[in-house]
Amino acid sequence: MSLAKVAAFSSGRAALAARSAGCLGLRRIHVSRPSNFASTSSASAEEPQQSLPPTRIAMAGSNQLSLETPQNKAEYVLSTLDKVANWARQGSMWPMTFGLACCAVEMMHMAAARYDQDRLGVVFRASPRQSDIMIVAGTLTNKMAPALRKVYDQMPEPRWVISMGSCANGGGYYHYSYSVVRGCDRIVPVDIYVPGCPPTAEALLYGMLQLQRKMRRNRKSTLWYRK
Amino acid sequence: MVSLSRYIRHIRQTGVKEWWRMMQYIGDAKSGRMVGADAFGNRYFENLNGEEEVPGRHRWVDYSQHDFNASQIPSEWHSWLTHIRKDPPTEDPVVKNVTPPWKGRYLENMTGTRGSYRSYNTAGPTITAWEPKVAQRS
Repeated sequence: MSLAKVAAFSSGRAALAARSAGCLGLRRIHVSRPSNFASTSSASAEEPQQSLPPTRIAMAGSNQLSLETPQNKAEYVLSTLDKVANWARQGSMWPMTFGLACCAVEMMHMAAARYDQDRLGVVFRASPRQSDIMIVAGTLTNKMAPALRKVYDQMPEPRWVISMGSCANGGGYYHYSYSVVRGCDRIVPVDIYVPGCPPTAEALLYGMLQLQRKMRRNRKSTLWYRK
Repeated sequence: MVSLSRYIRHIRQTGVKEWWRMMQYIGDAKSGRMVGADAFGNRYFENLNGEEEVPGRHRWVDYSQHDFNASQIPSEWHSWLTHIRKDPPTEDPVVKNVTPPWKGRYLENMTGTRGSYRSYNTAGPTITAWEPKVAQRS
């Protein structure tokens, strides 16, 4: 059986080689109709139900969507209060810096003039007791892990964690090292993973924006009311 | 440059309804040529007059969704908006004529919804809850 498979495979390869030899040097530039992603008219003909955004379609039937749609007056008030709280939280995110390696340099760039985190209300706060986000930037070693957990435990609720860079996400380059934690999500619950080695300051800022999106989904008092 | 006369002039040019929408979403009264709209209903504007818009703020987008983010801009328009390409995709001859057949539909970032991307993964969970087991005593 395996022999037959090998034969089929090699014959397929031969056919492929023949085909590629046939159009030797005649590799055409593919010219097709104008991009229908760019204009309005063709897409609306293609897809009639364009009213709902794709994120909303993806949320259909989920608990989150049910929480976000109030069903009576009390829920309406509570979810509005939730929105006010979310607005306040997302407007002043104070990250606790946990710079461990080269990612910390990119984290500093996010604070510097070009990406200017301060316009989003993001201010680095060196004290864990007065910050609500922790950016784990860099390789988390076994020796550092208890300190990380201690600092996380000192942060007041509500708190969020951004894991920055492949080392913090899953060990990264040092995954097989004897002294490195394979991802900081083994120590603290992580909200946003920013990929990259190191991620650019732009990527980290996008991660902060995604965290704002996550904060905006919070409906804690509505959840309490429904229970 | 930002001035009161510019502000009032732009309100008169765009109309009160458009101005109100702009103040909700952009936070400034901008006025310019509407270059085009994409498949999702986002509208793209340009104003090359240096007296009215500061260079760097001369191309902008008006999102169609209330809960907007930058990933809702399709890649062709992104390249126009960030000056990767000079001409908008409705006018650029390269974008108009050459579309790769393998190109998929543009989808915004679905993080946080049920449509979020999950990579194929065979590894077990990194965290397992502690289940206390009492050993039987003899």
